[in-house]
Amino acid sequence: MSLRLENITVAVPDGTTRRVLLDRLDLGVQPGETVAVTGASGSGKSTLVAVAGLLRAPDEGRVLLGGTDATALNDRGRVRLRRDQVGIVFQSPNLLPALTAREQVEVVAHIAGALDATARARAVDLLERVGLADRLDARPAELSGGERQRVGIARALMNEPTVVLADEPTASLDPERGQAVLDLLLDEARRVGAATVVVTHDPDQAARADRHLHLSRGTIQAGSRA
Amino acid sequence: MYLALRELRVARGRFVLVGAVIALVAMLTTMLSGLANGLVDDGISGLRRLPMTHLAFQHGAEETFSRSTLNDRDLERWSGVEGVEASPLGVSFVNARTESGKTVDVALFGVPAGSFLAPRHDAEEALAGPPGLVLSHEFEEQGIEVGDRLTIVGVDEEVPVLGFTYAGSYGHVDIAFTSLETWQSLLYGDNARGRFSAIALQGDPDTVAAAAERIDAADGTATVTKQEAYAGSPGYAGETQTMSMIQWFLLVISALIVGAFFVVWTMQRARQIAVLKALGASRGYVARDAVGQLVVVLLLATALGGLVAFGAGALVGNTAVPFRLAAAPALTALGLLVVAGLLGCLAGIRKVVSVDPAMALRSAD
Repeated sequence: MSLRLENITVAVPDGTTRRVLLDRLDLGVQPGETVAVTGASGSGKSTLVAVAGLLRAPDEGRVLLGGTDATALNDRGRVRLRRDQVGIVFQSPNLLPALTAREQVEVVAHIAGALDATARARAVDLLERVGLADRLDARPAELSGGERQRVGIARALMNEPTVVLADEPTASLDPERGQAVLDLLLDEARRVGAATVVVTHDPDQAARADRHLHLSRGTIQAGSRA
Repeated sequence: MYLALRELRVARGRFVLVGAVIALVAMLTTMLSGLANGLVDDGISGLRRLPMTHLAFQHGAEETFSRSTLNDRDLERWSGVEGVEASPLGVSFVNARTESGKTVDVALFGVPAGSFLAPRHDAEEALAGPPGLVLSHEFEEQGIEVGDRLTIVGVDEEVPVLGFTYAGSYGHVDIAFTSLETWQSLLYGDNARGRFSAIALQGDPDTVAAAAERIDAADGTATVTKQEAYAGSPGYAGETQTMSMIQWFLLVISALIVGAFFVVWTMQRARQIAVLKALGASRGYVARDAVGQLVVVLLLATALGGLVAFGAGALVGNTAVPFRLAAAPALTALGLLVVAGLLGCLAGIRKVVSVDPAMALRSAD
C-alpha cells in the first residue's frame, strides 16, 4: 500500500465548539491505483489532500506513506518524506512567476539537493511528455491555463513520487481542456506507478479513475470501482 | 538561492526601489563618515601632527589648553626624567589683521626654537630669530605671503610672516607657530614669568606613565596621551558625538527599511513560499532563499552607494567643506550598514518560516 490513512480525524475551532472536517476516515491506495474523491464544498476533500500530503497533521489517526508512519516523524522528517514521496497538483497551478517551465520542474530537484544533469534531462523529458516541448523557456505569464496546469503535473512527477495528490486540478480550466489535463495526469500517474488521489467536483471526471469515493461531513459515504 | 536569484533577474523593478533607498543611506553614511573625519581633522590635525606622545596639563584643565597654565618649575620635573623629552607648549586663539585689513582667526602655537615640537628644520631656524610667525599652508590660500606683517588684535603687535609649514588646524582654526618667547610676550606682555599652556612629552608610554604617576601627584598636573588630549579641542566631543549619533540613527533606519521591505515582500510572496514548502522545501531552504535575496540587494546597493559617495567625496574634498574620506572608517560604516540590514531581515525571518504550506492548496482567486 503506497498510501494509507487510518482513523484520521481533523477538527478546527468553530466558536465555542469544534467543527469536524475529517471523521475517523480510513483510506488505502495501491501503487498505480487512481482514486477520485468527490463531495460538496466543506465535505473535507481539501483537508484529505492536506493530511495525505503531510501539509497538516491530523488530530488523530495515522498517515502511512510507502510504509512509513508519517505521524510518528518530527517536522523535519515529515518535510523530507513529503519531498521524496509526494507529488501535488494544486487547484491553481501555483507556478512561481520568475521561473520558466523548465525551472518550475527543476526546482523540485534543487529542493532535494539533487539538481544535476540527469535531473535537468528528466525535467525536459517530463515537459515533453505533457506536450510542452516547445514551451520549455516560457514563464507562467506566457502560458495558457491548460499549459500551466500541465507544467504543474510535470512538477508533481519530478521527484518520482509514490503518492500523487491532485486537488481539483481542472477547476480553473474549461471542460474540454480540463478533461485533457485529467487524462494526462491519470495516464502519467499510472505510468510511474504512483498511488493517486484526485479531488474533483465533476462526476464524469471521477468516473475515469479506478475507484470513486464520495465524501460527506468528513467521512466516506459511498465507493465504487470502475 | 535558486528562486531568489531568478526573481532578482526577472522582477528587477521591485528591488530597484529598496535598492535605491539602501544605496542612498549607504551614500549618506559614507558622506557622513567623510564629514566626521574631516571635522575631526579640522579640529585636531595640528595637534595630531606634533611629534609627541603625551601632554601634561594643569590639574583640572580637562585637556583644554585655555584652562591650563604651567610654568618652568613644572617643566623642570619632567626635564629630569630619563628617556622622556619634554617641551613647553603655549596654545591660544588670537585674531590677526592682514595688511589688507582682513581679520583672520589664528591658533597660535608657541614652541621653543630648539624643541622637538618645531614643525620643520627651516621653521626651527625661523623661530630662532627675531619674533615672527610660521603659518600653516591654509593661510596661503587666504592670500597671505612670506614677508607680510600680521597685527595681533588686542595687543596691537605687528609680527612678520617668516614662512609656511604643513597644513594643520586646531579647534577648526588654522595654526601658526611662533617662538615660545614671542607667544608669552603676545599673551602676557612683560609679565610671562615662565608661563605656558602645557608640557609636550615624547617617550616610551610605560616610562611616561610611570613618571606621570609620580609627577602628577606631586605637582598637581594631569598627564594624558596625545589622543586623549584631542577631547580638549573646542567642539571636538560635541561634534564626534553628534556624528556618531547620526550614524547610529542611519544604521537603525537602514535596519528598519530593510526589515520592513522584507516583511512586506514576504507577505506578498507568501503563496510562493507555501508552494516551495509544499514541494518539500525545509524552513532552512526558504529562509536561505529569502534572506539570500535581500543580502544580494543589500551588498550591491551598499557598494553602489559607497562608490557614489567616494566619487562625490572627491569633488567635495577640493572645497572648504571639512571632508576627508578614509577607507577604514568608511568601510566600517558600510559594513555596519550591511549588518544592520541583515538584522532587519532576521527580525522578519519568522514570517518566512511560519508560512503554512497548506496555503498552496487554497484557491488563488
